[in-house]
Order: sequence, then C-alpha cells, then structure tokens
Amino acid sequence: MSWAAHQFEVYAVQAHLPKKMRGKVSFWAIWLGDFTPDFLSKFWVYGITINGRRYGASIPEQWHRGWPGMGFTHTLFAGALIAAGLWLWRRNRALTVGYLLGYAAHALTDVNDSVGTMLLFPFTTLNWSARTWAYAATTDGGKYLDGAAYYSSLGLAMDLFWLIVVLGSWRVLTREHWRTSIVPADPHVWSWFARFMPERALLALYRATFFYGVCRMFAWSTWAHIFARPELEGIPRRGYPFDLSWTGPWWLEARSLPHVNPLIVIPVALVMLAVLYWVISRLWEPMGRRDPGVVAVEA
Amino acid sequence: MQDRSGSDGQRGQQLTRREEITWYGLAAVTYVAAGIVEKGLLNWIVGPIWLIAFVWFGPLLTDRVRRRR
Repeated sequence: MSWAAHQFEVYAVQAHLPKKMRGKVSFWAIWLGDFTPDFLSKFWVYGITINGRRYGASIPEQWHRGWPGMGFTHTLFAGALIAAGLWLWRRNRALTVGYLLGYAAHALTDVNDSVGTMLLFPFTTLNWSARTWAYAATTDGGKYLDGAAYYSSLGLAMDLFWLIVVLGSWRVLTREHWRTSIVPADPHVWSWFARFMPERALLALYRATFFYGVCRMFAWSTWAHIFARPELEGIPRRGYPFDLSWTGPWWLEARSLPHVNPLIVIPVALVMLAVLYWVISRLWEPMGRRDPGVVAVEA
Repeated sequence: MQDRSGSDGQRGQQLTRREEITWYGLAAVTYVAAGIVEKGLLNWIVGPIWLIAFVWFGPLLTDRVRRRR
C-alpha cells in the first residue's frame, strides 16, 4: 500500500488538470475520491484488539485488494460506478470528475506494491502489481511493521516522488491558488466553513492534507530508522535497515495474490490513466450542458 | 471571503509570510515529534486538526499574551 503518496496525489491531480478544467474541479471531491478506497477497506486490514483478542482480516491482502474481499474498492470500475451514481444524484461535473480522478489516482498508485489492485475488475480478478515494494500488512505486525517496511523500501521513494511532483507545482499550495481555483470550484463548502473559521484557518484546512502527508512521512521514517529496536533474523538492531531493491525490504516476506506479469503493469496503468483523462476531457462539455450550476453561471 | 468570527476580528484574517512560516513550522515540528512518540496521533483526523489549531489559535493566544504584558 502507499502511505503519504495518497495525500500528495490530491494536490498533484489538482495541479495537473487539463487547462479547461482548472478552477472548475472540486478539491474536496478529489480528496474524497482518493480516500474512499481505504475508507471502505482498510479498517479491517490491521484490525482492532480488544481484551487481547484481535478482530480483523485473517488474510489482510486478500481482504484489502482481493476477490473475494474488498479489493473491488481499489478498482477503476468501482470509482466509475460511484462517480456515475454521484452524477445521477447531483448532476454536478465538478464533483463527479473530481471524485473519479481522485479515486483513479489511488487505485493506480497502489499497483506498485507486491499485491497491487484488480485493474480490470470485473473482467478479471487477477491483480496488477508492479511489485515495486513489499505489501507488508500482516496480522501480527500491524501498522508498525507495515510502516517500517514501507519507509525502508521504494515506498519511501514513491512518497518522495509525489512530494516532488507537488513541490514542482508549488503554486497549488499558495493562497492565490486557493482563492482563484479552489474556492470557486467549491463555493458552498468553503462558504459553510467560513461561517466558523477565519481565512487563515480555511487556508490551513486546504493545506492540511499536504501537511499531514509530509509529517507522517517524516515521523514514520524517523521512528523506523532511528528509534525502533527490531530483532531481525534473531539479531537485535538499531532501526530497520533500508532496502531500496525491487520488492524490498529483504527482511519481510512480500505478500502477494494471483497476478499478471509485473512487466506490463506500469505501461498498462499509464495507458489507463491517459484513457481516463481522454474520456473525462471528452465528457467535460456535455456534462456542463446538463449541470444546472454551470448552465446558470453561463446564462 | 468575509470574516464572521468576532473573536478573530481584531487579529485580522491573514498571517504575514513570517508568521505563516513560524506557525506552520511549529505545527510540523511538534506534530512529527508527538507522532514519533505516539503513532496513534498520525492519522488523517488529528493531523489536519493539529495544523488548523496552530494556525488558527496560535496567533490569537500570542496576541492575548502580548496584550497582558
């Protein structure tokens, strides 16, 4: 799974919208779309322990990404289905398109771990995994081992990649961008928050997901490599060792599900992302003609 | 966007660049430190609330302290 990458994606998507959609796609919809897959499935992955007894998935990777399981929550099909439902319900293209883009970003980023996602669900339940780093959610290791493994592997590189993408588009974090592009696309939501909060708090609210991503990346990395005292293969260590090899780290068995050839995964994921952008781009104007909000503004 | 929060009216809506760096930086350093000690704080609810609390209430509290002096 990916960690802070999912927080950075929200801003990266916002920063790389097609020109005609800039300032017109809901930030909160992208945020919700990006977070929905894990909202729906992750609570049971680590499970909860009550009175010493663990309640949770017995095979976390099967529950999280597989079928049968909640793996369908990490598919473009589910994203498209929910987005279609949103469109039928609200007829709001800012919401629908934002939600779909956020959802797709999450599902496509997660193809990088050793379990991957069912990209072509429901046509096939095979997982698409590039096996870039090890999926490390286990019943006994919980979130700690998962975090240590992720931030010792190329998962850290993935977080840094998305961070660099956002910093490369740093204007997306400015007050100016928030005022001119974010607020106009979500006027009702921001107006509601503005009833209680001053502008600097609203701006902080907008930046908060980025803040959380940066902080969790630093905190988990620092803990894993400086403060943790693991015992690996019977040897006590000061911090978990880094392993930036493919499907690392070596000190943990990478979980896996039946999958396609990893070599085709990244190219296919990129093609699907391109197709998604193309489809959304083609639907943008027709959706605008049926969106009461857009019609009212244009009239 | 109009400021309707009366208690914050005197403080003004925006922070200067320097104040912004200070409060965001302070929020980040304290959150990372607290998160290392207690991983339970590193979640998508506490993280955003932590930042907003610093940026919203931090300047108000420092203003109040300055006025008392």
